[in-house]
Amino acid sequence: MTRLVRIEWLKLRTMRVGFGLLATSAALTVLFASLEASRAGNGQSGVAPLFTPSGLGTVTTVTGWSMILAAVLGVIVTSGEYRHYTATLTYLGSPNRRRVLAAKTLTAAGAGAIFGLVSGLIATGVGLIFVAAHGYHAALGAGTLVAHVAGAVVGAALFGAIGAGIGALFRSQLAGVISVFVWALVIESIIGGLFTSVRPYLPYTAATTLAGIKLGGAAFGPAHGVAGGGPLPFAAAAALLIGVAALLEATASRTTVRQDIT
Amino acid sequence: MAVIEVHDLTKRFGVLTAVDHLSFEVDAGSVVGFLGPNGAGKTTTLRMLLGLVAPTAGSAAICGRPYQELPDPLHRVGAVLEASSAYPGRTARNHLRVQALAGQMPDSRIDEVLDLVDLTGAAGRRVGEFSLGMRQRLGLATALLCDPEILILDEPANGLDPEGVRWLRDLLRSLADEGRTVLVSSHILAEVAQTVDSVIILDRGHLVTHDTLEELTARAQHKLRVRTPQAEQLQRLVLAQGAAALVVAPDRVEVTGASAEQVGLLAAEFAIPIFETTTDGVDLENVFFQLTEAAATKENAR
Repeated sequence: MTRLVRIEWLKLRTMRVGFGLLATSAALTVLFASLEASRAGNGQSGVAPLFTPSGLGTVTTVTGWSMILAAVLGVIVTSGEYRHYTATLTYLGSPNRRRVLAAKTLTAAGAGAIFGLVSGLIATGVGLIFVAAHGYHAALGAGTLVAHVAGAVVGAALFGAIGAGIGALFRSQLAGVISVFVWALVIESIIGGLFTSVRPYLPYTAATTLAGIKLGGAAFGPAHGVAGGGPLPFAAAAALLIGVAALLEATASRTTVRQDIT
Repeated sequence: MAVIEVHDLTKRFGVLTAVDHLSFEVDAGSVVGFLGPNGAGKTTTLRMLLGLVAPTAGSAAICGRPYQELPDPLHRVGAVLEASSAYPGRTARNHLRVQALAGQMPDSRIDEVLDLVDLTGAAGRRVGEFSLGMRQRLGLATALLCDPEILILDEPANGLDPEGVRWLRDLLRSLADEGRTVLVSSHILAEVAQTVDSVIILDRGHLVTHDTLEELTARAQHKLRVRTPQAEQLQRLVLAQGAAALVVAPDRVEVTGASAEQVGLLAAEFAIPIFETTTDGVDLENVFFQLTEAAATKENAR
C-alpha cells in the first residue's frame, strides 16, 4: 500500500491541476477572509467586531473553499484516470483495483489536508493582520486558533477522500466536479434551510463545523444566514465524514471500479 | 511451452459478440502476429488477456495464471494498448517515473528506454505536445521499462510514418532476438510479416487460422503468366487438368493452381510454343484478405 500511495503522490506532484487548485483555494481564502474582516463590526453585516472572539473567529475560519476544492481534487485523482485513459497503465501495474482506490483516497486526503492547512493559516493570518491594523488585542487564544486550523485540515482531508469516492463512482470528471459544487452550495443549502435539525448532519456543513465555522456564520453556502441548531461534536462530525467517504468507496468498488477498461 | 493461453474466450457487449469462443496459445520466445480487420476483436482479446476487460466466458492466462494473479506483472508483461494512455500535462520523463515506481525500477532505466525509442531529446517535453508517433514510442518505452519477458502490443505501428514503421520492425526483431515473446496486433499483415514467426488471424471474434508464415505462404495461390501464340488452346488444356486459366490477351494466359513446370510439360506434350513464363510473388496480404473474406462469407451464411 505504501508503494501505491507513493505512486499516486508522484502522479499528483507531476500534474499542474493540483497546484492550480491549491492556489485557487488560497486566493479565495484571502478574498473571503479579507471581505469578512472588512465587514466585521459593521452593524448591517451580521459579523461581530474583530475585537470580539466571535468576530475574529468568523474571519479565521473562512476555510470552506479549501474543503470544496479538496473534494474537486479528489474527483480528479480518480476520474482523471478515465478521462486521460491512464487507468489502463495504472491497472496493468497494480491489478488490484480496490487497493488502487484506497491509495488514491489516502492521497486525496493527504492533499486535502495541505489545502486545509494552507487555507487555515491564511485565514488566521488575515484575521490577525486586520486585528493588528486596528490596534486590537487578539480575542482568541492560540489554542483556539490552532484548533480551527486543525479542524480545517481534518475537514479538507476528509472532503478530499469523499471527492475521490465521487470520482470513482462517476468516472466522469465533469459530472463529479459539478456534483461537488451543486451538493455543497445548492443541495445542502436547500435541505439545511428547510430542515434545521438535519443541517448538522449534512457532509459539507459537518466539515465546516469541524473547522469552527458556526452554523449560520459562514461566508457562503448552507451554513450562511440560517440560524438555529447546534453543530455536531468534533468526533461525531469526523466520523460522519469518514462514513460518507467509506460508503462512496465501497459502492464504487462494487460497481464502477469493477467495470471494463475499454 | 505456452506462455499465453486463451481458452474458449468469449466477450459480449449487450447483443454484440466481440470475441466468440476464441482459443489459441503462444509459445515462449515466439513472435506472433495477431491479425484481423478493424472490429475483429483483437483489442478486446488483448484487454481480456491483461485483466482489463472481464470475459463473458472462457479464460485467458499468462504463464499459467490470470494477469491479475501474476507476481510483479510489469516484470513479466509489457503492454502497449493505446497511444494516448498518458496524462498530457506530464513530461515524458515524469510519465516514465510513475511507471518506474510502479515496477520498482531505478530512474537510470528511464534514460535507457528513452534512448532505445529515440526520445531522449524529448524527455522534458509534455506528452500533450507529442505527435501520435512520439506517443507510440513513449508507449513502447513504458512497456519495456521493467524489461519484461513478454510483450503485448496493440497496433503499435498506428501513427508511425514509413521510417517509424521500419524502426518498429527492427525493434521488434531485436526484441525477438533477445528471446522475448511478442504478441503484436495489426490490421495490416505487411506491417508484421517481416517480423513474426506465426500469425493468428481473427475475424468477427472468431479464429480464422493460426499458422506459421510458411504455412500461410503455402496457402497462397501463385499466378503464372504465360506468353504463347496459342493462348486459347493452352487454356483448354490447363482447364482440363483442373487448374484455372484465363486468356487475358490474344497471346497471354494467366494460370493459377499449376506450376511453371507443369504448364511447360503440358505445352511441350501438345507442341505449343511458349515464349515466356513469369510467376507472381506470393502476396500474403491477398491470403489475409481471402481468409477474412471467406470467414465473413461463412458467418453471413449462418
